[in-house]
Amino acid sequence: MATISAHLRNFKEPDREEQTILFFSIPSEPKPPLTKDGKPPLPREGEERMEINAVLSLGVQGEEDAYAGKLYLLPPYLAFASVDRRSVRFTIPLCTIRRVERLNARAGVYALSLSLWHGMKIIVQLTTLRPTADLFSALLRDALKLELQVGRMRAVKAFSKTCYSEVLLSGSSPVAEGEREDGSLINSEKAGEDGQLSYHGGLGLRFKFPGDPKKLREASKTKLWTNYLKTRGRHLTLLRYPQCTRLVQVGLPNRLRGEMWETLSGSIFLRFDSPGLYEKLLEDNKGRVNTSTEEIEKDLHRSLPEYAAYQSEEGIGALRRVLQAFSFKNPDTGYCQAMNILAAAILIYMSEEQAFWLLEVICDRLLPGYYSTSMHGTLLDQRVFESLVTRCLPMIHDHFTEVDVQLSVASLPWFLSLFINSMPMVFAFRIVDCFFCMGPKVLFQVGYVLPPDEIPQRPYVSLQLRSILKINGEKLLQIQDDGQFIHLMRDYFSSLGESAHPDSSDPRARAITRFQELLLVSFREFAIITDDTITSERRKFRSEVVTSIESFSKRSAIRNLRSLERFTKEQVGFIYDALFKAVCVEPPPQPVAPPPSLLATKDAPEERPETRIELKTFRVFLSEIATWARDEKIVVNGFQRRVDREVAEHEFIDRLFFFWDSSFRGSLSLQDLVTGLDGVMFNGLMESIEWFFNLHDKNKDGYLTKDEVLTLSESLLFIFRFEIGDAYLGAISRFMSNAFEYGDALLPPAAEDFPETQIESNQPYLNLATFRMVILAEEALETFFETDLSASFRLEPVPLMDLPPAISSNGLLGGLWSSITSDDNKKLFHKFSDELGRAVGRHQVIHKPSIGRFTNIEEPRPRESLLTPAMRRSASRSSLTSPSDTDVPKSSSSLLAPTSTVEGMTPPPVPQKRQDRDMESIAESFGALSMVQAANAALMERTPFAIDDAKDDEDDSDLDSEVAEDDGVLDEVDAFLEAHDTSGLSDADKALAKDLVNAEPVE
Amino acid sequence: MAEAASGSADKSVQVKLVLLGEAAVGKSSVVLRFVANEFQANKEPTIGAAFLTQKCRLEDRVLRYEIWDTAGQERFHSLAPMYYRNAQAAVVVYDITKAASLEKAKTWVKELQRQANPNIVIALAGNKLDLVQPSPSASGGSAESEDEADDATATPGEEPSSGEAAESLRQVPREEAQAYAQEAGLLFFETSAKTGEGVVEVFTEIAKRIPIEHILASSRGGAGRPGAGSGRTDGAQGGVNLQENQAKGKDACNC
Repeated sequence: MATISAHLRNFKEPDREEQTILFFSIPSEPKPPLTKDGKPPLPREGEERMEINAVLSLGVQGEEDAYAGKLYLLPPYLAFASVDRRSVRFTIPLCTIRRVERLNARAGVYALSLSLWHGMKIIVQLTTLRPTADLFSALLRDALKLELQVGRMRAVKAFSKTCYSEVLLSGSSPVAEGEREDGSLINSEKAGEDGQLSYHGGLGLRFKFPGDPKKLREASKTKLWTNYLKTRGRHLTLLRYPQCTRLVQVGLPNRLRGEMWETLSGSIFLRFDSPGLYEKLLEDNKGRVNTSTEEIEKDLHRSLPEYAAYQSEEGIGALRRVLQAFSFKNPDTGYCQAMNILAAAILIYMSEEQAFWLLEVICDRLLPGYYSTSMHGTLLDQRVFESLVTRCLPMIHDHFTEVDVQLSVASLPWFLSLFINSMPMVFAFRIVDCFFCMGPKVLFQVGYVLPPDEIPQRPYVSLQLRSILKINGEKLLQIQDDGQFIHLMRDYFSSLGESAHPDSSDPRARAITRFQELLLVSFREFAIITDDTITSERRKFRSEVVTSIESFSKRSAIRNLRSLERFTKEQVGFIYDALFKAVCVEPPPQPVAPPPSLLATKDAPEERPETRIELKTFRVFLSEIATWARDEKIVVNGFQRRVDREVAEHEFIDRLFFFWDSSFRGSLSLQDLVTGLDGVMFNGLMESIEWFFNLHDKNKDGYLTKDEVLTLSESLLFIFRFEIGDAYLGAISRFMSNAFEYGDALLPPAAEDFPETQIESNQPYLNLATFRMVILAEEALETFFETDLSASFRLEPVPLMDLPPAISSNGLLGGLWSSITSDDNKKLFHKFSDELGRAVGRHQVIHKPSIGRFTNIEEPRPRESLLTPAMRRSASRSSLTSPSDTDVPKSSSSLLAPTSTVEGMTPPPVPQKRQDRDMESIAESFGALSMVQAANAALMERTPFAIDDAKDDEDDSDLDSEVAEDDGVLDEVDAFLEAHDTSGLSDADKALAKDLVNAEPVE
Repeated sequence: MAEAASGSADKSVQVKLVLLGEAAVGKSSVVLRFVANEFQANKEPTIGAAFLTQKCRLEDRVLRYEIWDTAGQERFHSLAPMYYRNAQAAVVVYDITKAASLEKAKTWVKELQRQANPNIVIALAGNKLDLVQPSPSASGGSAESEDEADDATATPGEEPSSGEAAESLRQVPREEAQAYAQEAGLLFFETSAKTGEGVVEVFTEIAKRIPIEHILASSRGGAGRPGAGSGRTDGAQGGVNLQENQAKGKDACNC
């Protein structure tokens, strides 16, 4: 159910270049990978970008409107925007440019004439210094050359045939023959056959467009547009002059609407760039069933059901294909209710392919995040909308706050479905026209004019902002709850067709509908809401909204867990936080959809996405919780003390991962983590030992193999790798010797006859009871399993990385430090101060211990109290190999000796650094140990068993002596080993060992 | 101000009710049946939420339901708290022909019990009962199959031809859902928005359970505004209502 994603966090404001790309609706291409030195690669020839001051004019006599602005070369596009970024702009694919000429003009004037494919000429005068203009021209030439090589020039003509405007211009009359007045074709079947009429069109061509064409004044609008398109370009090469915006505001003619939408929104460039992609998506994913397609099916018959096309298979099929294609292309978004209404609406005016790309632009650019699974875009814009109301309509805001009415209960559907479901379709489509032309701010402006209701006796032109608020307020201020608010809005929207001034004496004022008034007030009075306002407001509220979404998904993720196990809600909350952090640091790979052929049939649709983490992410997660799963180094360099923290990698962690993966999916869900942690964090001594045993018993047969005993020891060494002193090292080495000793002792009697034939290293060897006994023989290990293991999992925030600076008075670096905020800079600073520290010889690195039980190098003696006298004897025998048994007393350092005889390890490693190295060497040698060596080691360990009791007493009595004469002892031991090479246990010993093994654990 | 706003009989008590449940289980259809006694095939999916009101008479009490009909799709889930805050009643709807929808209903119940108004009355309603019932008469067969099923989402051809086939469409046994409802302390109903069966009962049974005294008391207190109905009845008038309804409340308890 739950998906955890960090992408909301990772949102980055578009940089300047990206903003330009967005502004000109240019399809963005994936960023090229950075070069080795972390800089973007140099653009290839013909792809270099440049902007330059220019004056745009048309090469038409009598047309005097020239506009100053900026010309942008953004291969493969050329774009222009006037100084105010509003009046005039265009985005033209370079491949539509057929010819570029430098004009012979007066001295000092540098002008280019661009001839476009349909013969239109644009003149741009470059108003910069000559060398800059020359450079621009050169770059433009390169870019055009590249376009020619790619061969995109040829595609333009074929593409233009798909555009209705070409038909409109080729026909003699503005309304093409063969059309009824309402815009539908008299003989629609002919449309596809005739090459001339192969343009893309919507369902409206067959099923009629909504609204009364006479009332909408289709014919005159079409005529105006025909003239405009003739002189100012069309589809790919449309130049947007002020007149264009005005024409859009009075409403687009039905037959041209689809094409204008895709032109104004820029989705036409996507369609031009990727011909056939729509069909391919559908073909590749044919028959695929997933959550999205199921949800789409549910809503197909519920999208504008009153429109005739959606009562027929033709319309339903088109809608299904468009929505499915979108969900296949954008699996993250999939399908969101409201998209069906949007898609159904635009399909009336445009073909499936056009609608598919327009939907893409709406979801990706115009309304980013609106339809995502978290709907963060919607929530953000609702917050922005509320804030704008607070700012501009404070009275209404105050009243709403007082009666506890939430604006979004009404406004959310407006934004999500672009008003299409909220007001009569003809009006909604006009808002949609403006939306595509002027961008998302339109929604805010329109949404803002909470009904400019009841504005009688006042000519609307004289309305001031203040009076609108006041008059609107009259109704809104009476609202007492959400319900009334919604009612008022609904009534208002349904009355949009009525006269705004029914009582006016002036017939012209009476003719003004409420809708016209709405648009007028929206655009005139709320022009203060600009794209910049919205961008900055969005920036302001983004983190607030993201935080609330994240905390909501946290709560619901926790609520949806099958079981919290023994944790409290807060503890699970912390587990979730650790998981979330891990997902941020190391995002899990997107679940890759299996190829369609492997997909199940309708009976078993693809599962709902659930966040499952893989091993890499798990390591980060565990490092947040388990002290030994991170490498912490305390760095002291004379200027500062800090903790460097890294995620540890070890086979043990991997083992834990697979141990917790109870469903064998190679990934873990939040539930798996909670259950897994529960399995270890509440354990007492015996449970901990059993847990650790099971963790290493790969085939779960209740026995560890010899290999597994070695792996287990490695795991312990890993956990203890940074502990101070030798206590654990000694304990583990004795643990190993004991383990092999008892393990062999318990082998079936057959082994006794052929002592050399060792049991295979992958055969069952050590059972839980024996393991438990061996562990309990070591006090250090017992303490570890009793408390330290479970306590090493901590559900609390990892302490901060930075310690207070060691030398607080350090002026230079201290001052620097306080001004550093970003992580990257911190790293740089650390590196710098480390080097400085090294230079002055004060650099020092200490590993921070994970368990931290022993704070000095003292070590408890091997435990004997738990053992029976016989056991004590054997335990002391095992310690015989250590020097202490002869004449050297026990001391912390000497206890390492047992392993030294086996592994040739260097004895007493006291200094911290050296110990670390030794730890590693042990770990390495274990890792490299072959089967034979392991067997030999076991054999060697076994022999001390046979030593008689006599020396046992000395063992205890010589505690205080100094460490000395290692060599002598070793020689003795070696000699002894030779002598007693094959001797085993006495029968009595064996029997005793067996009894012990089967005995109940001592609590 | 308050009188003008309420605009209804002084006796009526506002009850905010929210409908929750998986997409396309028929939430909007249930409300439409209750509010307008209509059934509409191919109802458009609810975006955000829809708002409707309906009065409900129970003995001598009049309740005015303010119904918030929410969107069912998973991703609208995060908006739901906006609608169920301050709600005194909730109807959690599932589709008896879709086992998964009951699971979703359970998560809604869980959420309501933890996050919503602590005194909230929750009803569980298994909708689309008509799909699992045999056609009332053989003659009605043709007319019946012309109709869409209870909800637009029923695929054509699912229309049952006989009682046995019909019952086989059922994926959630009545007993199972009822047992769950009992365990979780919910009212339980099976409904058909298409035929109207059981729909009104849902709302009248909720009305019986609503602690009206509590609502009025809290609205009189004014602070905290836990109910949508508050702010309507303030001043002396609210006090009078409280008296009346307390008495009636006792009557209701005795029934």
